[in-house]
Amino acid sequence: MFDSSAHANPTRNRNRLQLALYLAFCVAIFAVPLFIDDDFLLNRYARYLVLGMVAMALSLSWGYAGILNLGQALSFGLGSYAMAMTLKLKTVPIHTGPDGLPDFMVWNNVETLPWFWVPYQSTAFAIFAGVAVPWALAAILGWFMFRGRITGVFVAIITLAILVVANLLVIDQQRYTGGFNGITDLAQLEILGLEFDAYSKSTYFLVASCLSVCLLGALAITRSKAGLIFQAIRDQEERVRFFGYDVAAYKIMAMSISAAIAGLAGMLYTVVMEFASPTFMDVPLSLSIVIWCAVGGRQSLLGATIGAIVVAGMQGALSESETFLDTWMLVMGLIFVLVVLFLPNGLAGLLDMAGRRLMRRPGALAGGPAPAKGLSGQKAKDQT
Amino acid sequence: MTEHLHIEGLGVEFNGFKAVNDLNLSVAQGELRCLIGPNGAGKTTTLDLICGKTRPMHGSIRYRGREIARLPEFQIARAGIGRKFQVPSVFRQLTVRENLEVAHCKHISVYTNILRSGRSAESDGLEKLAAFVDLSDYFEAPASVLSHGQTQWLEIALLLAQDSELILLDEPAAGMTHQETQKTADICNRLKGKHTIIVVEHDMGFVRQIAQVVSVMHQGTLLMEGTVEEISRDQRVREVYLGSTLGI
Amino acid sequence: MDFLLQNVLTGLSIGSILLLIALGLAIIYGSMGVINMAHGEFVMLGAYGTWALNAFFGMGLLSSLVVVFFGVGLLGWLVERGVIQFLYRRPLDTILATWGIGVMLQQIVRLTVGGELRYVEMPHALTGTISILGTEISSYRVFVFVFVVALFLLTWYLMNRTRFGMQLRAVVQNSEMSACFGIDPKRIYGLTFAYGAGLAGLAGALVAPLKSVSPEMGTSYVIDAFFVVVLGGVQSIFGTVASAFLLGEATGTLGFLWNDTIAKALVLVGIIVLIRFRPQGLFVSKVRG
Ligand SMILES: Nc1ncnc2c1ncn2[C@@H]1O[C@H](COP(=O)(O)OP(=O)(O)O)[C@@H](O)[C@H]1O
Ligand SMILES: [Mg+2]
Repeated sequence: MFDSSAHANPTRNRNRLQLALYLAFCVAIFAVPLFIDDDFLLNRYARYLVLGMVAMALSLSWGYAGILNLGQALSFGLGSYAMAMTLKLKTVPIHTGPDGLPDFMVWNNVETLPWFWVPYQSTAFAIFAGVAVPWALAAILGWFMFRGRITGVFVAIITLAILVVANLLVIDQQRYTGGFNGITDLAQLEILGLEFDAYSKSTYFLVASCLSVCLLGALAITRSKAGLIFQAIRDQEERVRFFGYDVAAYKIMAMSISAAIAGLAGMLYTVVMEFASPTFMDVPLSLSIVIWCAVGGRQSLLGATIGAIVVAGMQGALSESETFLDTWMLVMGLIFVLVVLFLPNGLAGLLDMAGRRLMRRPGALAGGPAPAKGLSGQKAKDQT
Repeated sequence: MTEHLHIEGLGVEFNGFKAVNDLNLSVAQGELRCLIGPNGAGKTTTLDLICGKTRPMHGSIRYRGREIARLPEFQIARAGIGRKFQVPSVFRQLTVRENLEVAHCKHISVYTNILRSGRSAESDGLEKLAAFVDLSDYFEAPASVLSHGQTQWLEIALLLAQDSELILLDEPAAGMTHQETQKTADICNRLKGKHTIIVVEHDMGFVRQIAQVVSVMHQGTLLMEGTVEEISRDQRVREVYLGSTLGI
Repeated sequence: MDFLLQNVLTGLSIGSILLLIALGLAIIYGSMGVINMAHGEFVMLGAYGTWALNAFFGMGLLSSLVVVFFGVGLLGWLVERGVIQFLYRRPLDTILATWGIGVMLQQIVRLTVGGELRYVEMPHALTGTISILGTEISSYRVFVFVFVVALFLLTWYLMNRTRFGMQLRAVVQNSEMSACFGIDPKRIYGLTFAYGAGLAGLAGALVAPLKSVSPEMGTSYVIDAFFVVVLGGVQSIFGTVASAFLLGEATGTLGFLWNDTIAKALVLVGIIVLIRFRPQGLFVSKVRG
């Protein structure tokens, strides 16, 4: 028999290492402006960080709780529009019509500000709504699906369908949403006297702080008891039910937290991009989010984040040329298929495996036979 | 002995097929009851009915005097009934400790659990449980590395972590080697008296090692009840099993 | 009265196109449990195939149907053998992998043929209109309707009255057992997938003259088709027919009352609500738990 602390150590070490990696990532993104003094580049990087944030949110619901939400872009888009609406109402009259009506409403012969626009005159309300609306929508949808024990592919298709519906409606209701063009010509975000110019360090830091807080917060959730239960539900939903847990409540929680983070990311995206558009809540974006998450590693929050930053970053670098972009998407499709086939846990899973192999080598761990078996068993399983 | 579980007139049909039909069964506190019967006799379905996986169409299930027949699964679980399924179902990607942690469900609300650490203060207790089913060496290993037998034992430990008073075991020794079967019998014997246990099993050798009272099911109803000797002498039981490999 | 008839006919026409697109998916999903997200791209390829056969070889729509059917079918077979066969135990991952394949097909078309819209002409004989009970309706749409009904009957025959259909049902029920009886599950699955893909190709060829042809035209089809299948009841091919026409009528009527977008949104939401309360589908009465 082995002394119990010998077994606790590998896990505890792993957890410490994980936390160290997450913290190092946060420090790294804050340090970027020290080395780069180009506002244009910083704006770009801020954009990638935002995309990393929404991929991380998906990892929480998909990688941890097993809810493949193909409509993740909906939460993102709702956040984005919430921010755009308030910033539109804050513009100086040159971009708004008489009576403070947004310009596109004037062009579409809308006479008075619609009721659901009115509260957005307050930025505080908008920031609240940008998180709360996606959260509430996800909670309602989750309640609807999970209370009815809808699982697996049905969840994927239903969330996708809801996204399609929302996208159709936003484009169709041009009078209230700006239709295809989205909401453009926005004011700058101002919170407590602080101005957030899209092309400035302040915006970059805003994004970096939000990402760090969400990332560490999400990490804490995955390490909580609820996080453990999310993973248990992902593995064996039925079994969890027979321990007396209300599985639907847990799934609703996972999905709505994920949606709230995506909503926050959407708001930041509007600040960084200086407009909101229906492409922020369309199917291709949702697909991209899934790809980022899968490539980086769906079961790792940090992996998903970095996956998005790297993939979106490469795409951004190539986007100068139209044919390049098309080729890139082709390559992405191929990589995605390959990852799904051979690397279900993405690059993070690959690193994890390599790391465990390294840790095992010197004199093997105190755990003796167990971890050694553990590795081979794990591998065998991953390949099935 | 006080009555722990009382089943009366229980019945369920699938597309007109009576899988369980007018079943009466009564189990005392702390008793270990074996439930045997040929394939398709309705043993698994009976356990499904008790733990709420399947809704009964007729009859009543009283647990400590309380009617539980139509409660949702999670309420039945919280009332103190734990179930091991025929197909081993542990959380393969979680470690043994984490598996036990999930099963150890004092607090079930998502709102409190999101604020609680996934590594509870009762880690010691969980380690004792792992030791009880001889899984100490694997405490921090993912459940996916466990052998078939070890997975079954982990499942039993999960029911103990859950602190169920009534434990339903569906074929705990299926597919095990002789030695593993011995060990499972040993575990069951050590649980006698502390928990009320219903074991569904095919392997008569195993049943002999653990049984107090055996109930025989056939075509959804109770055929007879008695000690191992009594039932293996019974003519009806022999007929039911005729041609099967049970070797009564 | 005229309005009403007009509406019913519009609904039938929408329904026949839905059925055309859903039929292939119904076979693949119903028998193999695979949601083929590249189904829309198979439809798109069928449309482009028709366009290309016409542009480069001067073939008419009707004669190109055969080529398109076998061409897209072959592609489907390759996809099943190359990717899907590895994922039968991971249904969520099939969604992702086939989605990725869809993206690749779209990009390949974009890179080779270009992203601009293409148009396919109707066969000359079918450009006119036919009068049904005093209401004019395009004869091409009538042709599509008749063609789809014929295709459906053929499929039904194939699945229920031929050796292949019997083997498929055997494999679906228990692939190991049927392997013991000398049926090769791989061959059956490959052929089934190819047949479903071929049907999608035909659908693309037939909708091409009605809609403009573009690389992204297939994206929304797969969702529509999936819902038609689920609403009809996965195992029931007659259910698929009923739900296709039901949805066609619903879309037609709602589109007449408001507009096409709202109609589509309402229909999708309606289906989702229905699935929630009748996950086994509208037209299936029994289900094994
Ligand atoms: N969900 C179900 N639908 C239809 N038939 C079922 C279902 N569950 C069990 N049955 C049938 O009920 C009978 C009893 O099954 P079961 O309880 O599993 O028997 P066993 O005693 O071998 O555990 C079997 O004939 C089985 O086919
Ligand atoms: Mg059984």
